[in-house]
Amino acid sequence: MATPGALPGSTSGGPEPGGTSTAAVPYAVELRGITKRFPGVVANRDINLRVRRGEVHAIVGENGAGKSTLMKILYGMYRPDEGTILLDGTPVTFRSPADAIEAGIGMVHQHFMLADNFTVLENIVLGSEPTRGGRLDLGEARRRIGEISERYDLGLDPDVLVETLGVGDRQRVEIAKVLYRGARTLILDEPTAVLVPHEVDDLFGNLGELTREGLTVIFISHKLDEVRRVADSITVIRRGTTVGTADPKTTTARQLAEMMVGSELPSPETRESTVRETPVLRLQHVTVTTPEGRAVVDDVGLVAREGEVVGIAGVEGNGQAELVDAIMGLRRLSAGTVVLGDEDITAWSTRARREAGLGFIPEDRHRQGMLLEAPLWENRILGHQTRPPAVKGHFIDRRAARADTERIMREYDVRAPGPDTLAVALSGGNQQKLIVGREMSATPRLLVAAHPTRGVDVGAQTVIWELLKDARAAGMSILLISADLDELIGLSDTLHVMLRGRLVATLDPARLTPEELGGHMTGARTAAGAA
Amino acid sequence: MTRLRRVGLALFAPVLAVLVAAVISSAVMAALQVDPVRVFQVMFDFGSTPDEQVTALVVILNRAIPLFLAGLAVAIAFRMGLFNIGVEGQYRLATIVAAAVGAAIVLPGPLHVLVIVLVAMAVGALWAGIVAVLKVTRGVSEVISSIMLNFIALGTASYLLTGPFRGSAPGASIVATKDLPESGWLPGINGVFSALGLVSPPRELYGFLPLAIIAGVAISVLLNRTRFGFDLKASGMSPSAASASGVDARAMVIKTMLLSGAIAGLIGLPDLLGKTHSYTTDFTAGLGFLGIAVALLGRNRPGGIALAALLFAFLDRSLVPLQIASYPASVVTIIQGTIVLAVVIANEIARRIARRQAERSSVLPAAAGPGAGGGGPGTGPTTPADDTDERQGAQA
Repeated sequence: MATPGALPGSTSGGPEPGGTSTAAVPYAVELRGITKRFPGVVANRDINLRVRRGEVHAIVGENGAGKSTLMKILYGMYRPDEGTILLDGTPVTFRSPADAIEAGIGMVHQHFMLADNFTVLENIVLGSEPTRGGRLDLGEARRRIGEISERYDLGLDPDVLVETLGVGDRQRVEIAKVLYRGARTLILDEPTAVLVPHEVDDLFGNLGELTREGLTVIFISHKLDEVRRVADSITVIRRGTTVGTADPKTTTARQLAEMMVGSELPSPETRESTVRETPVLRLQHVTVTTPEGRAVVDDVGLVAREGEVVGIAGVEGNGQAELVDAIMGLRRLSAGTVVLGDEDITAWSTRARREAGLGFIPEDRHRQGMLLEAPLWENRILGHQTRPPAVKGHFIDRRAARADTERIMREYDVRAPGPDTLAVALSGGNQQKLIVGREMSATPRLLVAAHPTRGVDVGAQTVIWELLKDARAAGMSILLISADLDELIGLSDTLHVMLRGRLVATLDPARLTPEELGGHMTGARTAAGAA
Repeated sequence: MTRLRRVGLALFAPVLAVLVAAVISSAVMAALQVDPVRVFQVMFDFGSTPDEQVTALVVILNRAIPLFLAGLAVAIAFRMGLFNIGVEGQYRLATIVAAAVGAAIVLPGPLHVLVIVLVAMAVGALWAGIVAVLKVTRGVSEVISSIMLNFIALGTASYLLTGPFRGSAPGASIVATKDLPESGWLPGINGVFSALGLVSPPRELYGFLPLAIIAGVAISVLLNRTRFGFDLKASGMSPSAASASGVDARAMVIKTMLLSGAIAGLIGLPDLLGKTHSYTTDFTAGLGFLGIAVALLGRNRPGGIALAALLFAFLDRSLVPLQIASYPASVVTIIQGTIVLAVVIANEIARRIARRQAERSSVLPAAAGPGAGGGGPGTGPTTPADDTDERQGAQA
């Protein structure tokens, strides 16, 4: 193992602190009194952040609390109006992310930015290709990647194609990419959002290697239990400012949550069962194949009854998205039937299905749930073009649409200036609440909810969970697809596990831990415990 | 207040584009040793007598009518993200078939005109429909297929003109279809001028003007007030969100292209019904391509397209006076070209400004009210949508 401090490719100047910190050592990253104003609003106000070298420093806060603005400032995308950024005690000014990278700050994004048909090596060097005499010098790159992989125990094989890698490996490629560019401070944005429990363990192991080698990790997360497990110190942001720091060893998740939102941590748990006898949705032998003939949804059968939440757990990419598309009529089945109530809707169009009482909260609200550049009242109409109140016959009733949008904003706590605001201007949580409100307003018989609380803050999450619970109690049938294991276990009455296109296990959420569920999702556990 | 700002923003891009175009073309003229001031004087000189001035107005309006229809045809497809470059071929083919059918039948006045209009719309729609079918069934880009179909349409039109639809005597310098019988003509409406107390000019204002206005209003209502218009707009903004909302994307492509083609079929009719009464080898060409520029400048809104059509018609009218004053007529082409370039850029700038304003205005109320919902759980007030991070992060 190499000595800490002599890091590959570190280009920036400044004092090079040792691996062990003493009181005299300046902070790796220090923000003093950072304020960022947009016209009429202060996004960040008097932010103070002190990150010691070689620690995992977590930043927690709701979405919209100002974390992203802060990270953009630290990564050179915004320039602060007031305050100073110090790296290793030296004030710096970033004009662009390139400056930040130059100074040794790297960002690992939540959504991977990798080219599937490139190898690990090619992906890592992409954008900063080593050249010799104008020609690509992959030998040198290979050597350095090998060195990085070994030093931080990333276990990367430079020559495999990224498309063959799992989520955890891809994330390690992203980390290697940043290290390759000489980063000594890594910002990880919600890194565990896409991982299953044992992958999270692996990631935390890697973070340990990084900090042991003297690197600094800034870790952004909502998941307070994880934060407490991995972080050496925690800074909490609320309403645009830093409200305090916490020691993960002495602070409970509940206390952290109170700092974040000023209220209790919500729980997804439902109380008594409201399941009735009448089936609403019946899937029989549903199979969806790719053009090449590979089955991505393979012989799936399930029943969702009135007042029942049927959860579908699974690592992403195991056919859940295709199953949702098949139910919504966005993808043709190659075999099987979809029955809603007493009617076989297999051949129906999406519109006919929606009119027949299918509500839809899509996985990717920007892609499938909203018209970002349209005002909210037009988004109220989306998906409900053929039904009152927004539409009269063949004509759009603008006034009624606006009025009903205002009602949704009121009843579902959508925070926006008014129905004429463009959807793009809303935060993720408010967009999602609008979508939930819109779908609930049509009182569907079956609600297909794909990742309903993904990327929303704790406050909006509570609201959405409560809405789902109320709808369930009122007799609505809900198909819940999620990657949030607590959400799945807490809300579901019946829980299916989807793996490689098949439902491999049916579990009782009342007697299930997230760890067990994670085991089923990766196929490590078989259907032995299936009920 | 906000409405005023929105109007201002809508006007900002086209006005900026026209100004930039004027500056650039002045620079080009100066480089060519032509005095731009004089050129603009000639362009704005509508003559000294009222008679001349009203005539200039009629010339502009008569040219603006087909340009407006062309812009409308392009804009309909544009609204849903389809690039109908085939308007040129659609209207040329529609006009010759309509001319031939109109000449072959005799019907009482209004009915005769109606048949010609319907034939033209049907042919235009059919031709555009080919593009749609290719796109929906084979995934052919509408840009490619509509360009290709332009050549086929022009070739077919030439063949029809010199072959089956030929009405002129052999050896005539201009080949033409048979003249429409008088019942198929659309008389001028110079009565408007008398009614307005203006001089009635020697030139006839096309009787197609009210029809074009009706078409514009109908399309405007269709796009902005109906379910169909909503589906179309949604498909243009986000095809994936539209299909998830229940819009049948394939049917939508076909309907939109048929509608766009039907309007394109009307482009040649003002000239055909009001002046030439036959399709000839020198029938006005290029309107379909100008329509793309007009639609861009008009930001795909009927009102804007009308203004853009008037501007382009004004430029078009100045061709003759410029040549009489021995200035190069290509000045007009340069202005038109730079307008198109400038408008594309200006539209994008305006879009970004509008978006940024929207993002800021939304943050305002939550943050401005001190303690609004203070302490309670909820989406904090501060930044614009978190989700934009990812896109911007991609720069890294």
